[in-house]
Amino acid sequence: MTEKRLRELLRAGPPSGELDAERRAWQVVAAAFAEREPVARPRRHVRALALGIAVLAIVAAAVSPPGSAVLDSIRDAVGRDRVVGVERAGPLLLELPAPGRLLVTSPSGAWVVNADGSKRLLGEAADATWSPHGLFLAAARGRELVALTPEGVTRWTIPQRARVREPRWAPSGFRIAYLAGSTLRVTAGDGTGDRGLARGVPRTAPAWRPGAAHVLAYATGDGSVRVVDTDSDRVLARVRPGGGPVLDLAWTARGRTLAVLDRDGVRIVEPEGATRRLSLLGRTGVSFAAAPRGEALAVVARSPRGSRSEVVILRPGSGEVRSIFSGAGRFSELVWSPDGRWLLVAWASADQWVFVRSADVEELAAVGEVSRQFRGRAAAEDGFPRIGGWCCG
Amino acid sequence: MGAEGRERAWVRGAQAGRASDLEALFLRHWRPAFRAAYLVVHDAAAAEDITQEAFLSAVRHLDRFDRRRPFGPWLHRIVVNRAIDWARARAARPESPGDGLERAEAPERTAEGLSPQLVDALRLLSPEHRAVIVLRYLLDYTPREIGELLELPRGTVNSRLRRGLDALAEELGES
Repeated sequence: MTEKRLRELLRAGPPSGELDAERRAWQVVAAAFAEREPVARPRRHVRALALGIAVLAIVAAAVSPPGSAVLDSIRDAVGRDRVVGVERAGPLLLELPAPGRLLVTSPSGAWVVNADGSKRLLGEAADATWSPHGLFLAAARGRELVALTPEGVTRWTIPQRARVREPRWAPSGFRIAYLAGSTLRVTAGDGTGDRGLARGVPRTAPAWRPGAAHVLAYATGDGSVRVVDTDSDRVLARVRPGGGPVLDLAWTARGRTLAVLDRDGVRIVEPEGATRRLSLLGRTGVSFAAAPRGEALAVVARSPRGSRSEVVILRPGSGEVRSIFSGAGRFSELVWSPDGRWLLVAWASADQWVFVRSADVEELAAVGEVSRQFRGRAAAEDGFPRIGGWCCG
Repeated sequence: MGAEGRERAWVRGAQAGRASDLEALFLRHWRPAFRAAYLVVHDAAAAEDITQEAFLSAVRHLDRFDRRRPFGPWLHRIVVNRAIDWARARAARPESPGDGLERAEAPERTAEGLSPQLVDALRLLSPEHRAVIVLRYLLDYTPREIGELLELPRGTVNSRLRRGLDALAEELGES
């Protein structure tokens, strides 16, 4: 074989799925790029000046009434905004403001955080989900789906050919849906009967409808959303939101309404199949979560220029859109407390968690240095933790 | 402005926060990197993961990237080394038999534009041999550059190239 012939063979035709892979990858890479905090390269002689101005700005903001509660950013001497977050954030998570336990994943693995702030590292995991009563959790561990007890005892594992992501435990407790590469799979809660449900799906987490039936909503590769009964494989609904890639899916508490988030807003799918769009009024949607009771949706959104984030409460019935909390930089996600009274907002740019009393922001509590608190023994670990759920008060 | 100059300008622009420059870098490098990963791991989903992770790593380390250095070799080093690691791990832990759906997926996972005979022949080589073949004949690195990317002596690179070529020629009946 000549070298020329080998070059021709290696370059012939595109590998199957190359275009789709490229499109998916660009979405992920562009999103990561949009979220990064560019680090200016300050010259040495301005560093001291920058520090001095930052200190002055903090002092000035702290003595003024608006700044005494939330000081979210300052501008330093090299002209960039630095996200500070909530002033007087606690250095340690000492307690949760509502009953229940948090499931968190960080580069060091999955953690369970108890109501008193104590936490346990369960071992390697990228994504994780609670079982409905918090008796178990399912986690993605490389190319395995793993079921664990909250004490970290492995109950079963399912190996896959591709990386496992986004496990979601059904409200009945008897099914788990997850992604293995671009295949959506479903297994029984005891790890038996694992099977593929759909291929070519994007990396949007599937969403189980509340209730005993095993009805699952998932995004498809063509940008639409499908609702299926996973026990019979019957397709119950197909929806094409039309606002770009589907970012998130959620059912309202009673399972009557499916909400689909894309960058333009939220599309509400009614039980009879009719759909309507709720605008985020110029903001860009990032993620959302349905309240455990009632019909409210809490949405993380970005300002049009992307420099600020907001938590917006949407009420699909009335169409009401209300901003309850905002700050400079990036909020990555949020979860509701099991009693529906608090929202935990992950303020990644400030390395803080902010607990917001959801009704009218009557109370607000923040914890700083979140990355450090979920760092394992390896010093090189880096990355803001993800919240897998707040379970079962 | 030559290709290298354009690439340096894209890196500079991306460091300054211009998404269009990052997109230009992505479009310039995604397909060769994805193909290189695929030819080493023979699994489209894994190749996608590996290539995407390499670009995400680039985004994370963009501010520290030395803009005088070319972007391609830096990216290819990550992609090919991760692909070798993945293929080694896969070989160390063979998969359990898949279900019907996985089998149904298999035809899609072969590279329809690539010669199936070539893909099968490459599969017979070790990941390390596949990597040097891909770096040399797909990405056009010299043996010295391959040695630097994979941290191998040049003699090892040359011997792997020779053995790889011979094995492919024999398998493809083109010796």
